[in-house]
Amino acid sequence: MKQVWKIGTIFTAVVGIWISLLLTPGLPPSLQLIVPYFPMYALASLGCYGLGALGYGMMVFRVCPEEADLLQKDITEAKTFFKEHGVDLSSD
Amino acid sequence: MELGDRAIGFLLLLFSTTLFAYYTFWVIITPFVDSDHFVHSYFPAREYAIIIPGIAIAALVSFVLVFVGFVMVRASQGKPMAKSKTS
Repeated sequence: MKQVWKIGTIFTAVVGIWISLLLTPGLPPSLQLIVPYFPMYALASLGCYGLGALGYGMMVFRVCPEEADLLQKDITEAKTFFKEHGVDLSSD
Repeated sequence: MELGDRAIGFLLLLFSTTLFAYYTFWVIITPFVDSDHFVHSYFPAREYAIIIPGIAIAALVSFVLVFVGFVMVRASQGKPMAKSKTS
């Protein structure tokens, strides 16, 4: 429950800052054009970051061929061991 | 197999970077460009920078909720049928 309160207060504070920025009369016109688009821009950036991190993770994921071979050897060894001791491990 | 995964990952990375660059240019840079510059022909009206992601987010959330509801209804329908068969 504490984590929810913390996140909730931070979110409310950020939304409050955004609304106060929207309502200040004395803002320079360069900022006045961009401020209304802040929340949607933040959401779009979050989505793009998520997709990009996913793609990057897919690119650098290691496949470990040596460990795959060792695992196959372990599997065949275990199968022969169990077959000798009478347990049938065929998959049909 | 891993080459296919690498290619998909790279395409995803490229797509997300392009999307972010296009959206940033659209929201932050187009208001400061002269209204008769040629660059404005590559971007729709600036209001659509809110409307299109808004509709996309609403559609995504609706789809997730409908799917969860569908799975829940199907699960609760399976239980009474199994009970009546065994009893």
